[in-house]
Amino acid sequence: MRRILTATGAVAALVLLAACGGGQVRGDASAGSSSDDTFTYVTNTEIVTEWDPALSYSNEIRSMENVYESLTSYDSATETVEPRLATEWTSSEDGTTWTFTLRDDVTFHTGRPLDATAAKEALDRTIEKAGGAAYIWDAVDSIEAPDATTLVFHLSYAAPIDLIASSAYAAYIYDVDAAGDGGDLDSWFAEGQEAGTGPYTVAEWNSGQEYELTLSAYDDYWGGWADGQYTTVEYRVTPQTTTAWQLLQNGEVDFVETLNPEIFTQAESTDAVATSETSSLQNLLALYNTADGPMADVRVRQAVQLATDTAGVVEALNGAAVEAEGLVPDGLLGSGAGVTHTQDLDQAAALLAEAGYDASNPLTLTLTYAQGDDNQQLYVTLLTSALAEIGVTLDAQPLQWNAQWDQARTGDRQDVFVMYWYPDYADAYSWFVNVFRSSDDPYFNLSYLADPEVDALIDQLPTLTATDTDAAQAAYVELQQRIEVQDAAVTTLWTDTYQRAFAADVQGYTDNPAYPNVVFVHELSH
Amino acid sequence: MSIHPDTVAPATRLPGGGALARRLVRVVGRDTLAAASAVVLVVIVLAALFAPWIAPFPADGTLATHPADRLSAPGAEHWFGTDQVGRDLLSRVLYGARTSLGIAAAVLVISALVGVTLGVVAGFAGGWVRDVIMRVTDVFLAFPALLLSLALASILRPSVQTTIIAIAATWWPWYARLSAAVAAGVRTRPYVDAARCLGVHPIRIVGRHVLPNSLTPVLVQLSLDAGGVILTAASLSYLGLGATEPTSEWGLMVQSGQSLFTTHWWVAAFPGLAILVTAFCFNMLGEGLRDALDPRSAS
Repeated sequence: MRRILTATGAVAALVLLAACGGGQVRGDASAGSSSDDTFTYVTNTEIVTEWDPALSYSNEIRSMENVYESLTSYDSATETVEPRLATEWTSSEDGTTWTFTLRDDVTFHTGRPLDATAAKEALDRTIEKAGGAAYIWDAVDSIEAPDATTLVFHLSYAAPIDLIASSAYAAYIYDVDAAGDGGDLDSWFAEGQEAGTGPYTVAEWNSGQEYELTLSAYDDYWGGWADGQYTTVEYRVTPQTTTAWQLLQNGEVDFVETLNPEIFTQAESTDAVATSETSSLQNLLALYNTADGPMADVRVRQAVQLATDTAGVVEALNGAAVEAEGLVPDGLLGSGAGVTHTQDLDQAAALLAEAGYDASNPLTLTLTYAQGDDNQQLYVTLLTSALAEIGVTLDAQPLQWNAQWDQARTGDRQDVFVMYWYPDYADAYSWFVNVFRSSDDPYFNLSYLADPEVDALIDQLPTLTATDTDAAQAAYVELQQRIEVQDAAVTTLWTDTYQRAFAADVQGYTDNPAYPNVVFVHELSH
Repeated sequence: MSIHPDTVAPATRLPGGGALARRLVRVVGRDTLAAASAVVLVVIVLAALFAPWIAPFPADGTLATHPADRLSAPGAEHWFGTDQVGRDLLSRVLYGARTSLGIAAAVLVISALVGVTLGVVAGFAGGWVRDVIMRVTDVFLAFPALLLSLALASILRPSVQTTIIAIAATWWPWYARLSAAVAAGVRTRPYVDAARCLGVHPIRIVGRHVLPNSLTPVLVQLSLDAGGVILTAASLSYLGLGATEPTSEWGLMVQSGQSLFTTHWWVAAFPGLAILVTAFCFNMLGEGLRDALDPRSAS
């Protein structure tokens, strides 16, 4: 009896407390940002999972981008590639030879000066390791370093190397001799050491701790240092959003990576806090099974598109997302395709009737989505309700990613597959080659689309992007019309919005979605 | 599930039906808390049964959504407010009672049927039959109930049916143990020996003497367990392993309202309260019933 009573109390308290989102603030204030020159970044997950710059492909991008640099960087606001370690670059007419000029005033944190040979060695190692996002260099046949500041890429097919070199992953330039003579670089990195050129070096790493990672200024940074810049960067892991928000309000931290829309609204009206809202490069796709089942009939796919209230879903998300205008989000070449959807249940019902479904032959569709994703759940709830109105039963299963993916690839195929997509570097090609190019053995092509004309268009994209951006833009728009409207293989449901909050005295912050969740701290002052 | 089999095993026969009911009413009536809980539970059960008629927006309890009315605060039109997709929360809490009580009823019926059958067979047969059945039971009891349910639910596809199966699989051993103890106690009674000597068929002995004796502790256990089952079911849904949208389920509703709590408290609070009140009342009633029916705890 006692046990059950206690359990009742405990679970009830847990239910209510969990709902409160854990009102307690952990840690003592003195351990927080003690100095004004410290920038404290709060995230909800572990920061570092991989120290090797060749393999890094995860959360550590938040710190790696402050420690390592790439040849170029991408500015989503202007949709242009900007200089970073390279000052300028040219490409041959056919886009298969690219020549980069490097800065001559850069040293690695190890003391070695950066030259073209060092850059070549780093990229060669990354390509050879073939881990993480190394595939982005697939077009590269060889890299050459004719003199100290010239780096030449010879490609086997035309590709936009300037864009690829700006990648958030697998494009870091590092000192391959960091481990010293006879030292093993792999294990040297694994110990939590780094060999970058960036403005910060690693000062302290406490794996699994709340105060996980501390970076400190690299005095010889080529970009120089001025008064008011942050000399220390702290990464602090705080799983609960409400706790992170309280820390920010108390002035203990400077930047909160992720807020939910409700707290973000609160933050917008808080004086001591500034906010930033930026459309990301990540969108949510509802992929329709074009190969088998009821949705192999294009009319059924169109009916489901028409039943989907994208505007209503985005409104219900309350600021966490914006409506998409096609597969390519704003900030990338190929965006602005103007593909939008408006809910029209009458027309949807008419299409279903045409396809032979009615009260005597009702339609049931299966859908799989990510377990634990509240936003996807919201979409599913609204779609279930809309489809029920036109007599369609939607059997929606929340699944863990691996289960969802396995089922789609090798098991009983679903009719609708819901997943997020984002590019590894700022190139919309990623959506098309991975998600919509036909494939006998589907990997991410989970609409199972096999349209030879689409394939032909996709295959032109790298060359067009490398040689003729206007033609590339036109090809992207045509592809999106073809895939999302004509083939009705997908509905792009929304594009996620980054909602950040930071201390009001932080100056110079801009969110660059090409580097998800990265704060380039050297650019800030206070 | 909290009663150790050693403490229950009333080996005497109960008073007849009428006397039992009178005693029940008398004892529960003396226990104000149990009586109040019983009244509340009757209201909840009625609400669950008649949800389609008493809910202000019955369609919201099942499939309807109204994005335009999202997150309205509690007021005259929506007493409990509305959720993220504009569904009336009062209607959903009422429909949620159907889900939760339905799950509890199904789990308890399955557990009692399986558990009592195995328990009586084990207790009455004795010997190796008893050993085999009781060791299997012990294996199940070795796992914390919620953990085993969680493990089962996570390998099955999340749904209300999965929840029932996952919880029932962890709940039946308690009934098996309980009825095995009772059956073992009855087996050696003189009147059972007498019946056996008279050549009465064992099945008839079980039906006439063993089962009726198991009834009391099983009834007490059922009423005590209902609250626990409701909590476990809510926990599974809260963790995303139980009922799925758009089913009205209290745990699921708390989960989806959790991130809104600081700004729109009502989305999580009302279903949370429903879980709290229902589970609490079942426990109070269970305790009252135990006092009423268990000769050892009746003062």
